[in-house]
Amino acid sequence: MFAKQDIHSSIAKLKQTALALFIGLGMGVTLHAETSTELIKQLQSLQPNDASNQTATKTIKQLNAANDVTVIQSLTAMKGATPLGRNWLLGLANSLYRKSGKSQTAELSTFLSDVSQDGEARYIAFQWLTANNAELRKKLLDGMKQDPSPELRYLAISEAVAAKPDTPELLSLLDSARHAQQVVSIIGVLKEKGTVVDQVKQFGLLTQWKLIGPFDNVGTVNFDKVFPVEADWMNGKVKDEYESKLVVDGKNVNAKWINESAKSEDGTIDLAAIYSNEKGCIVYAATEFDSEKEQDAELRLGCINGNKTWLNGKLVMSNEVYHTDMKIDQYIETVRLKAGKNQILVKLSQNEQKEQWAQRFAFQLRVSDSTGKAILAKGR
Amino acid sequence: MRFKLRNAFASCALTFGFLPMVFTSSLHADWPQFRGPNAGSISLESKLPTKFGGESKANVAWQTKLPGRSVGGAIVIGDQVITTSSSGMDQRRLHLISVNDKDGSIRWQQEFVARGRTNCHPTSAIAAPTPASDGKYVYAFYSSNDLACVDLDGNLIWYRSLSTDFPKAGNDVGMSSSPIVVDGVCIVQVECQGDSFAAGVSCEDGSILWRMDRPKQANWASPVVIKLPSGEQVVVMQSSQDLLAVAPKTGKTVWTMDVKCSSIPSAMAAESRLFVPAAGLTVFDLSSVGAVPSKLWDNNKLAANACSPLVVGKRVYTISRTVLASADLFSGELKWQARLPDAKSIWASPVVAGNNLYIFTEDGKCFVVNLGDEKGEVVETNDLGESVLGSPAISGNAMYVRGVSSIWKIAEK
Repeated sequence: MFAKQDIHSSIAKLKQTALALFIGLGMGVTLHAETSTELIKQLQSLQPNDASNQTATKTIKQLNAANDVTVIQSLTAMKGATPLGRNWLLGLANSLYRKSGKSQTAELSTFLSDVSQDGEARYIAFQWLTANNAELRKKLLDGMKQDPSPELRYLAISEAVAAKPDTPELLSLLDSARHAQQVVSIIGVLKEKGTVVDQVKQFGLLTQWKLIGPFDNVGTVNFDKVFPVEADWMNGKVKDEYESKLVVDGKNVNAKWINESAKSEDGTIDLAAIYSNEKGCIVYAATEFDSEKEQDAELRLGCINGNKTWLNGKLVMSNEVYHTDMKIDQYIETVRLKAGKNQILVKLSQNEQKEQWAQRFAFQLRVSDSTGKAILAKGR
Repeated sequence: MRFKLRNAFASCALTFGFLPMVFTSSLHADWPQFRGPNAGSISLESKLPTKFGGESKANVAWQTKLPGRSVGGAIVIGDQVITTSSSGMDQRRLHLISVNDKDGSIRWQQEFVARGRTNCHPTSAIAAPTPASDGKYVYAFYSSNDLACVDLDGNLIWYRSLSTDFPKAGNDVGMSSSPIVVDGVCIVQVECQGDSFAAGVSCEDGSILWRMDRPKQANWASPVVIKLPSGEQVVVMQSSQDLLAVAPKTGKTVWTMDVKCSSIPSAMAAESRLFVPAAGLTVFDLSSVGAVPSKLWDNNKLAANACSPLVVGKRVYTISRTVLASADLFSGELKWQARLPDAKSIWASPVVAGNNLYIFTEDGKCFVVNLGDEKGEVVETNDLGESVLGSPAISGNAMYVRGVSSIWKIAEK
């Protein structure tokens, strides 16, 4: 049997509990909304490590189960996210889009038309919107030939070229194109129509080089060896000749700097031809780039051999890879050009593979902005 | 019926806290990875038509056009046929697509953007490895070293850019080693001239459980799971410099051998033997407990340039260019060879249903070869009219062929 005050006390406690539950639930709703936003922020800032991955796995699980996250919210969050974060958000957006019944045409159209949004996010919005609508696809692409999204721009120009336009339109498309293979393709079509474009200039390929070599790389062991010419170049005091691996009539012969110009329309310097198919060797190539101003730029190297590149004495890329492929824009690094003369040194390493397909020794280099548009040296 | 059976397994996993690894060659079994259950490329009980395709599309249950291109194979999990594609500028859009077995309609799609290199040979694709599944999740790997895990509804579980973790991992001809899943670990072999490694990635959260350096040589072969006499499962990896077995959960080396293996066709195990594309074909004994496998025989007439070997009954089969060879499983003695008439390049590892071998060529032809004791007879030459570079999958009485730009279900009508 309970005493009366005990009953009152119990009722009071029940009321307090109910109130606490009510407040808690209410706060829970608010917290849930805040949490979803916070969870998305976590995905935006993902870094490449296990801890970040484990957190993201928990985060995406919560977001997949949440009912207050929208496709547009996920796509919008891709702006400013890390490259890893963008892929997690893209994965989330795909699930949300499927669950939504693929019906958000108006919202996606608005999102796609906002060119300030992330280009990768806009591309998938474009895919969804046009998946079963060829007419809309054509209409949208007609207006995307200068889109800031490289993927949308590439697609728009590809479709326009496929439609076999006349020469003025092709020249306009060439001006808009940034993707290297697409530029080459358009120049090829123009050539067939009788209009010759200076491809070397179009790309901003560097054609005038000073070469020295060959230095010893037998066994492909000297990729990281600092040869005297390399050390001297870093100090700004190169000599006219250096001890090389060449032996003529039984005597060692010094390597001397030679001037070489790219002769082909892809700006390739053919070291195999210049150095008589020498194998197991290192050659250095140096040039100057006279920049109009201090500016951000990209060095874009194509090379089928091991390579290192320095700009003004700073190593900017290193790829110890042999005979897999060579194409324009194969290796891209962001750099800061100073106003005036910039010194570029490329170290090229040939191995001793004997296969017929492993005989090339060649490179090409160009300077561009971040979209791939050529930055030309002063006076060019 | 098949779906219910899989759900029963899922219940079992929930109840007992493990996932049953029921990869057999029985009818309606899943085809969960490159070359199917146990990487055997075989489904003896399946009955497939020998004549299909052509202009009439004979025995084509459905064909579904997919975005971009792929040179990997499809897998089959329950009533889903799952495959990858790469599309768009530089093939940087990475797709993972589930197709309904019943009618070929798209069930779900996932999509990512390649964070690694997307250079590859024109005949290849960034979607080159075949995905893998443990029946709970699907693991999709790409030439760009992007690795994604989704559930069977396509929801993202985790994603990992191994090229971000190891920036020099890549090969501008294109990578194609397919992942495998064992003991809760997804194992990838990323061998190239740059950051060359193999890794075990946690199936649950994508953490890298272990990583080991591998020879700095391009390698396109896939790892394979074998069972030791002790019952322990180990992962065998091959390269042009070695052959080794590692523990899947730790990456600890169980044994290693100085064997110069081929870098394209992959090893497989059957009848307590390990068949390795090396010096033609080299066969090792897996029956000794706790020992480094000893060599049983090798035969340089059983060399394979691209296709992985397979075992049917007491015979092992290899393909060199356009010549199919059959040899005795126990002695390595060459029994017969058959030239495939007017065959173009063959990249897709062939599969066996019943006693017929299905060999797809790059130009979309399929030679159906009846495997006899004395000879191999081409009983039919079919044409899909689409390039095929990925190894087919078989489930029930159907074969799933991943063409470069579409997927086909071949089954008797």
